[in-house]
Amino acid sequence: MKNISNKVLKKIRDNNIKPKPRWYFITRNYFIWSIFGISIILGSFAFSMVLFIIKQLDWDIYHYIGEGFLKTVFISLPYFWLIFLILFTGVAYYNFIHTKRGYRFKFISILLISLIISIILGTGLYFNGLSERLENVFLEKIPYYNRLVYSREEQWMQPKRGLLAGTIIETGLPENNFILMDLDNNRWKIEAGKVIWKGKMTPATGLKIKLIGTLIDDNNFKAMEIRPWQGKGRFIMRGNQ
Amino acid sequence: MITGSECVNKTDEQIVVLTLKNQDYYLFLMKRYEAKLLNYILKISNISREDAEDILQEVFIKAYQNLNNFDLNFKFSNWIYSIAHNTTISAFRKKKVRPQTVSWEDKDLNNILESTLEAENRSLQKLTYKQILKIINQLPLKYKDVLILKFIEGKDYREISDILRKPMGTIATLINRAKKSLKQELKKEDIKLKKL
Repeated sequence: MKNISNKVLKKIRDNNIKPKPRWYFITRNYFIWSIFGISIILGSFAFSMVLFIIKQLDWDIYHYIGEGFLKTVFISLPYFWLIFLILFTGVAYYNFIHTKRGYRFKFISILLISLIISIILGTGLYFNGLSERLENVFLEKIPYYNRLVYSREEQWMQPKRGLLAGTIIETGLPENNFILMDLDNNRWKIEAGKVIWKGKMTPATGLKIKLIGTLIDDNNFKAMEIRPWQGKGRFIMRGNQ
Repeated sequence: MITGSECVNKTDEQIVVLTLKNQDYYLFLMKRYEAKLLNYILKISNISREDAEDILQEVFIKAYQNLNNFDLNFKFSNWIYSIAHNTTISAFRKKKVRPQTVSWEDKDLNNILESTLEAENRSLQKLTYKQILKIINQLPLKYKDVLILKFIEGKDYREISDILRKPMGTIATLINRAKKSLKQELKKEDIKLKKL
């Protein structure tokens, strides 16, 4: 044992072993912090998408379609984005514990802090309208994206369950009936004699709406309540027409 | 030529700074830790002295190569123990080493026993040195590790946390569980012998 230190020093000299340069460790450290930061930002984007999708769905219609509230929540949660949020939070955690003092913090503290930062930033992004813009980009650019998330379109295109959405293409029929082109470009005759119009709307060509009612047959739908496409009809949204 | 007396009054951290300018200083740093680290490696791993010496050489070389990564705000001793711990574990995982029975000093065993058992239970007289050692060596590595660092190496919670790179709360929990587990195993063995 006496010679271990001497042996090692000899090995260092003979093999010309040198300490790795300081810049190597500084770069590595910056890299770890950068990946941590990027993961938090990507987590924020994911959270803003979660918020956007949750906010755009109508949560008060579960009783119309004969489902329990919990089942509706279970079906409607944006799992695609939730998985991304969890994934980026995990990457952030992994990088944080590899920083110089990261190991001193508890697993749960790091996870919660990463998640809270993502939630705060994500909420900011949502209110800036970024998530809506992103959603449009994803719908346009990513094939099958609409199948990955439970969208408002999917929620309202269930005529058998009494939910329909589309744009009015013809008005002036007897008993306030009108013709609707649904989101899948199918033509419907809507019976709207005893309908409740939410959001102070009047039937007009080009108006995009959501309908709650009953399916009569393949092309006929009896409406009981009509809402503007945006919102639940508590107020009139711009851009409906 | 650097003499040992030059480094006597210097701290580890000061010698690290000097080593980065002149590698010869590293010898004095290694000499300070040679015996301590060899003992530590032997105790946590149960390997032959030869294998432990090989691991120790690897530890010193790794530490030298990573010297620029050592943060002077930390204790060098914790840093090098941490490297020794990781190198030993990875050598074990790679099965580069052969497990053997390592002898411990009586005072080391006593330290662990005294900190684990209450006064009335300390006289596990039926148990021999070998039996106690066998029980300690059969403990899961995570438990053995904290017991050795706390009661043999005399490290405090913060130091163990820096060596094992785990939060202090986790270290406290591990120590408690390790003590409990050792106590149970010792009592079990003692009862078994008393029945004979």
